[in-house]
Amino acid sequence: MNTAPQTGLVLPELAGRAPEPSTSRAAEGCAIFIYIYIYFFFFPPATSFFFYFLAADPAVISPQDPTLLIGSSLTATCTVSADFHLRAEDLYWTLNGRRLPAASYAALGPTTLSVALARLNGSKQQSGDNLVCHSRDGGILAGSCLYVGLPPEKPVNISCWSKNMKDLTCKWAPGTEGETFLHTNYTLKYKLRWYGRDNTCQEYHTAGPYSCHIPKDLALFTPYEIWVEASNRLGVAVSDVVMLDILDVVTTDPPADVHVSRVGDLEDQLSVRWSSPPALKDFLFQAKYQIQYRVEDSSEWKVVDDVGNQTSCRLAGLRPGTVYFVQVRCNPFGIYGSKKAGIWSDWSNPTAASTPRSERAAGGCDPKGGEQNTTLRRELKQFFGWVKKHAYGCSNLSIKLYDQWRVWLQKSHKTRNQVLPGDKL
Amino acid sequence: MLNVAGEPPGDSWGIFAFLCAALCNLPAVPALNGTEELGAGQSIQKTYDLTRYLEHQLRTLAGTYLNYLGPPFNEPDFNPPRLARAEQVPSATVDLDLWRGLTDNARLAANYRAYSRLLCYLRGLDGQAGTAELRHRLGHFCSSLQGLVVSIAGVMSSLGYPLPAGPAGPPPPPGAPAAPNDFLKKMDDFWLLKELQTWLWRSAKDFNRLKKKVPPAVVTLRLEARGF
Repeated sequence: MNTAPQTGLVLPELAGRAPEPSTSRAAEGCAIFIYIYIYFFFFPPATSFFFYFLAADPAVISPQDPTLLIGSSLTATCTVSADFHLRAEDLYWTLNGRRLPAASYAALGPTTLSVALARLNGSKQQSGDNLVCHSRDGGILAGSCLYVGLPPEKPVNISCWSKNMKDLTCKWAPGTEGETFLHTNYTLKYKLRWYGRDNTCQEYHTAGPYSCHIPKDLALFTPYEIWVEASNRLGVAVSDVVMLDILDVVTTDPPADVHVSRVGDLEDQLSVRWSSPPALKDFLFQAKYQIQYRVEDSSEWKVVDDVGNQTSCRLAGLRPGTVYFVQVRCNPFGIYGSKKAGIWSDWSNPTAASTPRSERAAGGCDPKGGEQNTTLRRELKQFFGWVKKHAYGCSNLSIKLYDQWRVWLQKSHKTRNQVLPGDKL
Repeated sequence: MLNVAGEPPGDSWGIFAFLCAALCNLPAVPALNGTEELGAGQSIQKTYDLTRYLEHQLRTLAGTYLNYLGPPFNEPDFNPPRLARAEQVPSATVDLDLWRGLTDNARLAANYRAYSRLLCYLRGLDGQAGTAELRHRLGHFCSSLQGLVVSIAGVMSSLGYPLPAGPAGPPPPPGAPAAPNDFLKKMDDFWLLKELQTWLWRSAKDFNRLKKKVPPAVVTLRLEARGF
């Protein structure tokens, strides 16, 4: 409770201590409060104006809350009410909390002080610049909010997409940066090209600050006209009209169930499998897919573009013993016979897999191979022994011959492996 | 509850526990038929927690909103005059002795009325204010404040107090303008946030005190009702 709030608000402790010096003020405040209560409770509204005059504002600023173009000049006046017994010399001005130089002041009367502001910059905040007339001791007498900015320009770069033909989301860019000084209202409107009735989009900011989402009642196979209207205190601007058919801007979910696996013992290949996005399974379309993959500790993605519309692909030319991350995305073009390319979906979540480590080319110390051959070798030895005993001819067959064959085999190991993939294919 | 004859051992322990509670100001939880006492205690605890939560949320919200209003509103020592119009917002600055001298019922009722009206004014804050994020925060805060109003009502009913009539005292009077110009509206907004902060700070203290008070007071009530 003792931590100061990080705002301009008074510390609670101070408020608690307030009773000492301002007990009478509190009592006054209570009295006024009760007074208001009685007035508004028992007397008809007309009487409230009477009360309003009783507590007149200390001063009046003119112009009150003006709207101005960037670069324009303004002369504002502050006229103190007679009850306050202040003169023009007792007043000063601040703009956004900073005192304005006395050189820009001019006394227009005994109780009126003016200030001249030249070449105004855009408003510091969209709620308006705070131009305040103060009495000598710093008390606030009156204030005026200055809205300085530019009229909006035509919004540009309208782009839309439809998720699974169910809805339409559009985004655009504001025409100029000047529109951020004033609050600018954007309205996305759309209508069927030959039908005539304007509709307004309601759900804004769904995909960023300049976006809108139309969730339903969209017709297919017929062009829509879409445009954005920007308006602020200084004017209105309408973007160019974009014409599109929902079917031409369809996007979908990323492919589901992406699996990446090794291809047998092959060190440089991985096999990727996925399934077609389920939302579009009932629709006639030709999907195009793209795969991108990268090595675990690299940020460079390699893209495989010519996947076509299969739901599997084999990546080749990879490094052995490396972890790869793989993503797939889908483009539902040709939906319902549309000639235009659709919009690529998001990439699927990355799936990881690793290629097998390469076997050591220098033979001999291959424990796995050795294990296999121990049993085989033993059997062969037994076989050759039996042949010698029972077969006539082939007496040169012996285990020694088998050993020589093994040596020959390891010498031609690499050649043998290069041949095999070709066999499998 | 406090049967005289043929009582099972649990109840005699209950009497002993009650005596301890009355003497030592501890809640006699296990032995007494404590559903209502527990209800009030829990209610108060929840209301206290909610008040602290709102206090914390308000710090961030007020900071953001005052930055939206711009300097001098967001300066730490800003203290503008309170014009008559702004008196409509329930003032949190009261004589602390007077405040502590009120009964629990009166204090709770004052809290209930104040927050109901503060909620009304808060909802009237600039609907176009600043970024979507600020508007979202404001909306969330209003919902939470609505929850506090309901929570206070819950505490009052669990303690057996009647709810103050109507949603809040007089609604903002139709005759007087909301604020005749944008600058005065900014000052009203400033005062609203300031009063809200002070109210929440004081309510937390109130609920904390109430939390400690409740169990024996309620048990006494129940005993009296049964003529013991």
